[in-house]
Amino acid sequence: MEYTVASALAVLVVIAVELLWLKTGLLRKLTFYVSWAIILFFMVLVDGWLTKLSAPIVLYNEQENSGIRFPWDIPVEDYLFGFALITLTMLLWERWAQRHPDDEASRRTTGPLIRRR
Amino acid sequence: MGVDRFQYLILMGLCLVITLPLEFIFGARVWRRPRRLLAAMGIPLAIFVVWDVIAIARDHWSYNPEYVTGWELPFDLPVEELAFFLVIPICSLLTLEAVRRVLGRD
Repeated sequence: MEYTVASALAVLVVIAVELLWLKTGLLRKLTFYVSWAIILFFMVLVDGWLTKLSAPIVLYNEQENSGIRFPWDIPVEDYLFGFALITLTMLLWERWAQRHPDDEASRRTTGPLIRRR
Repeated sequence: MGVDRFQYLILMGLCLVITLPLEFIFGARVWRRPRRLLAAMGIPLAIFVVWDVIAIARDHWSYNPEYVTGWELPFDLPVEELAFFLVIPICSLLTLEAVRRVLGRD
């Protein structure tokens, strides 16, 4: 169950790093959750291909995970692993912009893709 | 045999190709902010490569030789895994920035 423990711990660490240290506020933004809905959809497609038991690219040692695979043959631990990797990257992406506001000036002048009246 | 050993690498390549319109049609501006991109990716890359090396050493998972190139970095790390830790975060940041643009809010 080492993978189960490590991946659950990684999620907790990433959330703790945001709440106690980075404080970007990303976890309170709608953008984060809409993005994750889209990412999750594609994660299932990509990871589904990597883990499908009919022709697996990645072979898992079932001693080290929960054995729960959903959907198809994706070990549920992979979602925790993916969440930690992707969310940590997003948090550092946000952090950099907040620390370098001048560098992001170009973004504000370009405005939203869909203009609101 | 043949193209099958490139399956994992091709999958990573497809992820990059499929997300490219987010940069150039949705105006995500991730590829065009290389310093910020590096700042975001460096630490997660280091952490997850180490995790991967440990997981391989402790037999949490392994890679099917039929679908990987066999090109390995030190500590038995398949080059495909390095590609994964480069490609997936970029795709995710492209999604985040594209969503931000479409929603028109931070």
